[in-house]
Amino acid sequence: MANNRISYAQLLETNNLIQACTDETYWLCVTRTVQESKLFPVPSYMLLSYLNAFYRYPSVLRKIESRMSAEEIGDRARAMGIKVQNPSMGWALPGFYLLGREWLINMGLLRPQDAIEDCIYVMDFWKRFQLSWHRNDGHITNKEFGHRSQILPERQEQIFEADAYACEDGDDLHSAASQFMASASQYGFLISCESRISLCNEGPYKLGDNAEMIVRDYMDLSESDFPWLDEVAAGVPYNNLTVPMRVKDCHFYLMDDWGSFESEPEFRAEHIAGVGLYTSDPLSEGYEPVGMSSKEELTKTFLELNQQVKDATTKLWQRMAAWTRDQMIDAGAVTYFAICKDLAHIAGTYEMEDWMLIDERAERFRPLLNDEYSRDCLGELVGLLTHPSQRTNEYTMMQHSDGPTRMYSPIPYSILDGDDYTPTCGPVYPGDSCLPRKQDRYQTSRGVLTLEEFNKQVRDFKPAAHKYRFLDETWVKYNSDTALADDMYKTEQARSRKLAGKGAGLKRSDLT
Amino acid sequence: MAKLYIDSDKYGDQAGSPIVEAFHSAIKDIVRDKLDEAGVDWNSFVFDKSYDLLSAEDMQRVEKKLLDAGHRYDFSAVISAEERPDAYKPVEGIDGTDADWTLEHPDAPSGAADENGRALCGVGDNVVPYPGMTSGIARYVRSTDHVMKYLSEGVPDGTIAVIDDSGGTLTAPILEQFSGVICMGGTVRSHLGILSREYGIPCFMNAKITGIKEGQKVEMETNAAAKTAEAYQSGTEMTANIWKFD
Repeated sequence: MANNRISYAQLLETNNLIQACTDETYWLCVTRTVQESKLFPVPSYMLLSYLNAFYRYPSVLRKIESRMSAEEIGDRARAMGIKVQNPSMGWALPGFYLLGREWLINMGLLRPQDAIEDCIYVMDFWKRFQLSWHRNDGHITNKEFGHRSQILPERQEQIFEADAYACEDGDDLHSAASQFMASASQYGFLISCESRISLCNEGPYKLGDNAEMIVRDYMDLSESDFPWLDEVAAGVPYNNLTVPMRVKDCHFYLMDDWGSFESEPEFRAEHIAGVGLYTSDPLSEGYEPVGMSSKEELTKTFLELNQQVKDATTKLWQRMAAWTRDQMIDAGAVTYFAICKDLAHIAGTYEMEDWMLIDERAERFRPLLNDEYSRDCLGELVGLLTHPSQRTNEYTMMQHSDGPTRMYSPIPYSILDGDDYTPTCGPVYPGDSCLPRKQDRYQTSRGVLTLEEFNKQVRDFKPAAHKYRFLDETWVKYNSDTALADDMYKTEQARSRKLAGKGAGLKRSDLT
Repeated sequence: MAKLYIDSDKYGDQAGSPIVEAFHSAIKDIVRDKLDEAGVDWNSFVFDKSYDLLSAEDMQRVEKKLLDAGHRYDFSAVISAEERPDAYKPVEGIDGTDADWTLEHPDAPSGAADENGRALCGVGDNVVPYPGMTSGIARYVRSTDHVMKYLSEGVPDGTIAVIDDSGGTLTAPILEQFSGVICMGGTVRSHLGILSREYGIPCFMNAKITGIKEGQKVEMETNAAAKTAEAYQSGTEMTANIWKFD
């Protein structure tokens, strides 16, 4: 294989990105929690998802970029609470791909220099998306920002703050919002087969003394991509819901790349002092208010949503409890693998066959996936780092562990000296699933659409705010007195109850 | 026999887990055989021939070899053992038919009953402190059959659910109805811990209990401090007590 298509600079950068993922994945896996379930064979489906990611991500990402670049998707993603948030993009996209690669290396089925054009491309896609999405805080990951995430521009932060309704522990809105968030969190764990990837926290944002705002997204709640939500979730009227929360007397000192937080003191519902409710998707003009006309309407909306989510939880649980083990594994593997599927929805390239099926190359390994092997193999991959490929020379002191280990193998530079390599694992191969086929119904902000309609409408749609794409926060700093800045702010303020027409000169002190 | 690239590894030797090492060694042997059989170089094999030559049947043989040697797997999901009872170690106490069965942790503390008949029978990591103690009737919730029963009949008032699953899915449709939760696994940041906090249900995670029978009255020291992230990272014990009433 000719090796003149890859430069030293590309390899240096790719290996740096791989190492960054090593450091953070290890920290996340050893400091967060073990994910276990008596219902779902979690490690088994995780391992299968990693292989699906290894074999399919390079092709599906290239397909996405045939219509829209990673950077543009990142720009669009800042105005949506869908699965292009931290759990999806901050960690999982490169993490799942690299975990699949590492596992294959340890089975003797791959060398570190195999499929390296794929590897370079996946890491480069991730970098470009992340830099774009994190543009306002100037980092590539929450980890690089000291575990913080400030994605939103000022104009959106102002709307969330101004339009939130004040509440306090014990009042009707507080109670309704708290009930909904508990039920939706539980529903999210169930939808995602025990993983936490249906919800994500972002922030914090400073709201004066002793108050901060975090933004919580609940994603894939209705009939959307997952076949197991067909019918049982028909009663949930929104696929994605975002709850900005004003939180008092509680400092969020850590927001990780899984969308989880740590706070001082420990966050509890009683700290919530204000809430809002929004929906968004690739067809919406950013965050669209839900039930926000009055405090009473918002309370009623939370209560209705709470009941709808609880009903869907019961129906979904009953469906899942009757599944076979293979069905559970397929659902979990697809949930994990498709964690970044909304990239394709934003680009209008989503195909059920790309995202909801197990590739036949990954499927070959299913007979290995008993609970014990899966538990141990996964534990070694992400925590113990005891697979042979993860051992390094004895002088090594890995970040966080000080051990002679690393999670992911870098690409050897020797290919630049003529060592052979292979470029790609190939295109998407046929896939299958033990689950019923997805019905052609997709809940969107424009109603229930077929997938063909959904993709077409996305491809024909450009949000009104998109024309201001390159007018960033630095430009605003020096140009807020211009008509152009005013237009940009008013475009997003058009959906705000309190800030409509206020324009670009607004500062926090003007909100009250 | 063909030599694999990873056969020469200056720093790595074998996987840490015996079952992982057994499986991976067997797979590598198959890869060597198939590479020989293909008669091509690695670059032609890895993403081309191997797709045809390495099959699910090969992986089944890897697994069969271990089972034939007498190994039986640990289970994590109940369904795994239910579907293949011959391949997994037995799951004890899951059907709830033995009224005297108890979930036992080898490190659970215990004590003699006081004048009120209250005896120490365990500890756990408190998720959130509440103003007082929480008492109720212990009921094991370990399987979908248990959940289905409570889903159709309702959870009895005052139920303290004793659960050995730190996930949030097994008990999803009934969790809100518990008066308290004692979970044998996880940490305060496990899904069950997160959900119990959001619902405002007293909950101990990582519990070590002994001698709690189905239907027995228990009390949780829910006014104890919550276990902190720092305590987990430093390995500091920070537990709350559990008592039973004979």
